Amino acid sequence: MQPVIELSHVRKSFAMPGGETLSVLDIESFALSQGEHCALEGQSGSGKSTLLNVISGIMRADAGRVVIDSIDLSELDEARRDRVRADKLGLVFQQFNLLPGFTALENVLVAMTFGSGRPDRQRAMQLLAAVGLHDRLHHKPTALSVGQQQRVAVARALANRPRAILADEPTASIDASHQQQVIDLLRNTCSQQGVALLVVTHAPEVAVQFPRRVRLEEFNRAAVIVGGEGRFQ
Amino acid sequence: MTLVGIAWRNIRQRALSSGLTALSLALGVALVVATLVTGGIVQKAFESGSGLGYNMIVGAKGSPLQLVLNSVYFISRPIENISWSTYQSFLPAAERADGMDGAFAASTKTAVPICMGDYFRSFRVVGTNAAMFDRLTCGDGKAFKFASGVNFRDADFFGGVLGVTVAAKTGLKVGDPFAPTHGADDGKVHDPFRVIGILARTDTPIDRGVFVNMEGFYLQEGHAKPVSPQLDSPSAGVEREQVAQSPVHQARGQDAQPDPQHSQSAAHGQQPLPFAQREVTAILLETASLPGLPAELTAMGLRTTINEGRDAQAALPIGEIRQLLDLFVRPMELFLLLVTTLVVVVSAMGILVSMVGSSLERSRDVAIMRALGARRSHVLTTVLIEAVLLAAGGGLAGWVLGHLLVGAVGPWITSNAGVSASVFSMSPGPEALLVPFLVLLAIGAAILPAIAAYRTDVAKWLQ
Repeated sequence: MQPVIELSHVRKSFAMPGGETLSVLDIESFALSQGEHCALEGQSGSGKSTLLNVISGIMRADAGRVVIDSIDLSELDEARRDRVRADKLGLVFQQFNLLPGFTALENVLVAMTFGSGRPDRQRAMQLLAAVGLHDRLHHKPTALSVGQQQRVAVARALANRPRAILADEPTASIDASHQQQVIDLLRNTCSQQGVALLVVTHAPEVAVQFPRRVRLEEFNRAAVIVGGEGRFQ
Repeated sequence: MTLVGIAWRNIRQRALSSGLTALSLALGVALVVATLVTGGIVQKAFESGSGLGYNMIVGAKGSPLQLVLNSVYFISRPIENISWSTYQSFLPAAERADGMDGAFAASTKTAVPICMGDYFRSFRVVGTNAAMFDRLTCGDGKAFKFASGVNFRDADFFGGVLGVTVAAKTGLKVGDPFAPTHGADDGKVHDPFRVIGILARTDTPIDRGVFVNMEGFYLQEGHAKPVSPQLDSPSAGVEREQVAQSPVHQARGQDAQPDPQHSQSAAHGQQPLPFAQREVTAILLETASLPGLPAELTAMGLRTTINEGRDAQAALPIGEIRQLLDLFVRPMELFLLLVTTLVVVVSAMGILVSMVGSSLERSRDVAIMRALGARRSHVLTTVLIEAVLLAAGGGLAGWVLGHLLVGAVGPWITSNAGVSASVFSMSPGPEALLVPFLVLLAIGAAILPAIAAYRTDVAKWLQ
């Protein structure tokens, strides 16, 4: 199956104040196919967020190729990477990161504003209805429960018909009773829409629910992706 | 949702600081609008007096500006009076007792005498003749119109015409009597005149004037020039008869009708004051063109000749008013405009302060939008649009507020300056530039926050 996300020989490092270079990522290869669901495990500080930033084009890799739906991000300038992120990827954050001054419906519409298509109010309402928020369209985030906020975040991630959703610790900020709801919501929604799902988590009870699990582990000070059958090459 | 929609949401999200910023802009703009409009009204008030159908004023020697202010605007005091013979020197043979053209008759198209010194409830009383409203105009060549009644007739010695402001303030109607007082409001009360007509609004100082037949004016106590005793002798009666039989009096008497309600001269049984006992405060002149000479040169020549003489001076109202405007009014207006513009600039800086103050909150929102795919240009544009919306909103609110302010003091301006001032009074040129200027200022003020938004580190703010 055609991979939606492909990484090969990706390296990322940061310059430290003393002039030293801190190597953070060293990914030989990784691929996520269309409709595939994958959990990416790793300890805090293992480089999970950096990896998501590189995949989404927020950060540029120092070396290697990051290909999203056959588009090589490493060849694009920032504005074009932004466009690819808006059109091809949906992001769900640990803190939900809803825009506080906007209603649930507007939060979804804002995401549509930056995509290639025109903002579609009807579709935004359908997405919110699909996550059970048909009666909370005009509520601002402060008027929504934690679970409802996370649902808005999922609906927003799906706004531009993405090929993949990247979820960064989506259950880290919510209580145990809601964690399962969020995972079910993400998996079910992505399955219905045929969207690939990459969930970053440090919780084994979350990762275990995914058909594919990979781990970020430190190797020669840089994080590498390790699969069930060994290091990804 | 568009970038404008996002910007508007951002403004609403920070409703208090945005509202205060817009309010300070609105107050600044309201001040500028009020200054501009009031300046325009003041200018109009002065310029309105230069289009009354005459181009020269002849009066006693002294300050030409004082002559103009007193004769045209009914402010300041008369310098002195000039002789009746000076007035007659502008009259053609047909209007003179001796049947000869006056020395300046050829250069004169219309000469209207005015006599001042009396008041009616703080309004200036002007003794004149019917030519004031029959032959002069109320600006731009338009003939005077009467809201009610008609012009007084020269034969009706105790007829009067009121400006619209006077009528409104005093409540006088056509047919009502009114008695001027001598020299001041608390001066001796004269014999009453009767209102023959009330002028329609002219938006000139005429609106604030009480105009009476100068024949009746002359007959009031203290208005006759003291002369040698023989004028009180039997020969004086002979001269009164000459005055009554002079061509001008006969000509003006022809249209006189024995209307007991309007014509009080007959009821008083009074004869006109002898010429020797007459003076005028000023003469309003519409100059003519001498054969072969342009009108301007004729006027300049006449003015020079009069000013070189010993009896009187000639002043050009337009020139004096322009000088007054250039020397005092415009610099004052410019100063006020400068101060109020500074207020607006400081208010525009409020946008910068407001945006910098909310930069932490904004950085997080910007990072979220960037993560959703917004380009740097999107967030920069959104911040600038926010500033433009605040400036345009505050500016337009201020524009309305400024006009409401002028509208609120409009009645006071109208009654005191004789120029209509309302919520719709405009100063079109500068006003049209005000909001665009403010928007440019706002964009300038928002550049720094916009660049900060442009440079927001997404990864840092989303950790």
